[in-house]
Amino acid sequence: MVAGVGERIAAGDDPTAILADVQRGMEIVGKRFEDGEYYLSELLYAADIFKQVNEPLAEKLASRETEKLATMVLGTVKNDIHEFGKDIVATILRSNGVEVVDLGMDVDYEAFVAAVREHHPQFVGMSCLLTTVFDDMKNTIAALEDAGLRDGLQIYIGGGPVDESLVEYVGADLYCRTAQDAVVAIKRHLGVN
Amino acid sequence: MDAATQRLLEEKERRIRDAVALKTPDRVPIVPLGDAFTARQAGVKVSDFCTDPQIAYRTMIEVFSGLGELDGIQHANYNVHLLSTIWLSRLKIPGRDLGENDAWQVEEIELMTPEDYDAILDEGFGPWLERYFAERLPGTAEAFAAFVATLPDAFAAWREKGIVVFSPVLATVPYEYFCGGRSMQQFMLDMHRRPDKVQAAMDAALPFLKEQMRQVIRGLSLMGLWIGGWRTASEFLSPRLWERFVFPYYKELVDVAIEEGAIPVLHFDADWTRDLERLLELPKGKCVLSLDGKTDIFKAKEILGDHMCIMGDVPPRMLSLGTPAEVTAYCKRLINEVGPGGFILAQGCCIPPDAKYENVKAMIDSVQ
Repeated sequence: MVAGVGERIAAGDDPTAILADVQRGMEIVGKRFEDGEYYLSELLYAADIFKQVNEPLAEKLASRETEKLATMVLGTVKNDIHEFGKDIVATILRSNGVEVVDLGMDVDYEAFVAAVREHHPQFVGMSCLLTTVFDDMKNTIAALEDAGLRDGLQIYIGGGPVDESLVEYVGADLYCRTAQDAVVAIKRHLGVN
Repeated sequence: MDAATQRLLEEKERRIRDAVALKTPDRVPIVPLGDAFTARQAGVKVSDFCTDPQIAYRTMIEVFSGLGELDGIQHANYNVHLLSTIWLSRLKIPGRDLGENDAWQVEEIELMTPEDYDAILDEGFGPWLERYFAERLPGTAEAFAAFVATLPDAFAAWREKGIVVFSPVLATVPYEYFCGGRSMQQFMLDMHRRPDKVQAAMDAALPFLKEQMRQVIRGLSLMGLWIGGWRTASEFLSPRLWERFVFPYYKELVDVAIEEGAIPVLHFDADWTRDLERLLELPKGKCVLSLDGKTDIFKAKEILGDHMCIMGDVPPRMLSLGTPAEVTAYCKRLINEVGPGGFILAQGCCIPPDAKYENVKAMIDSVQ
């Protein structure tokens, strides 16, 4: 696939058309994941291929205004350094046309606030692996509220010990069990197929 | 040990063994596990608890023996370096890298390289592992040895309190070692990009891991042990990869444990629901499937109820955020629907550090 994209670039195909084809491929992968045919292992493999073909395409597209679906500010909450789940979400969202502002791990409440102020995202994603940081998740959302930034913002949460019941406790909008859940939720919220 | 304590231990051990053999004991046994939770409850610094095995087991015994009538305890002692020995990863340790009462954490970085697969094949897994610890995780082997040296005393101290030491040692498949060392993202790509190399390295590691487990079971006269699964869970990989890189290795470890007379406790975190039927291939009435709240435990009962003892699965989140009434109601449901035969009550995975004391007590009391 990487070679195929290289050939199309060399043949002078429209990079926007090539990217659209590649993204259609990612959509098929996402659909197969939802149907239980593909798993995280295949999702990551596909996203890695996407990343490889996207690099030469990105150069070609740099001069043009590319269409992005949405922006998400994403991070592992304060006092938690587990990044893997959050990294998967970043990888999968990017390969589905979502711009991700990745704040890393152990992210201070105020860093989320500052990033939302700067990037005006429609979505914020928060992840954790420790039950001890549920209150940090709650405090981060409270900090966004205090800063007057909560309205119009969709806040999605996920991670090992997280489930539906935490949504209300921390004041988020949605629990995503998988990275693909986030893709589906974002598209649904935006009314995109 | 006095005769009354001895009799109590025998009674509790029989209760647990009956559950494992799929019989219905006089009541459902309760066999929990908690580490940093006990430090918090006892007012011991987490930094001391997780690095000093003497402090760790004394703290665990002090807190658990005050919580009610336990039948057994899963792990008799704790040390943070154990995490490096199974996931080949660096750690963030309270008091050293974090605040003294913060939670310890495993660093998700690529400490093992693709070239290490070749090194394992060239050098053999044992020598490679020794070199890996010396070069990339200095201090781990020494800390682990110091921990192991405390185990006989720790076992005796639990037994003095009339509590059975059920599964105090941890074994796992090569996948978990490599996945931890390579980082999960890189390892998942390895399984697609260089599957034959990964499998060859796993096949080279397995005999070493089997023999190590055999020696530990004999040396410590273990009743049972954990055979752990975290990132090997069905939810993370396709059946094709799971059948190739996961299940055959568990089968071999389980067979060795049973051959040595120990009870393999399949401590399976995350969601294994898809492959529950595959566990019917493991010997009947000899193993325990310990679930963490992510696998559907009621489905597990339906599929495996006549074949394998099930353990679990009060969700850690419920112990942290729930109420005693909620915990009791869930435990009663488990006892009635997953038990009363072939079932051991426990938390899912491990009691979280911030669990409420009254919630843990409600779980323990619910079997009475």
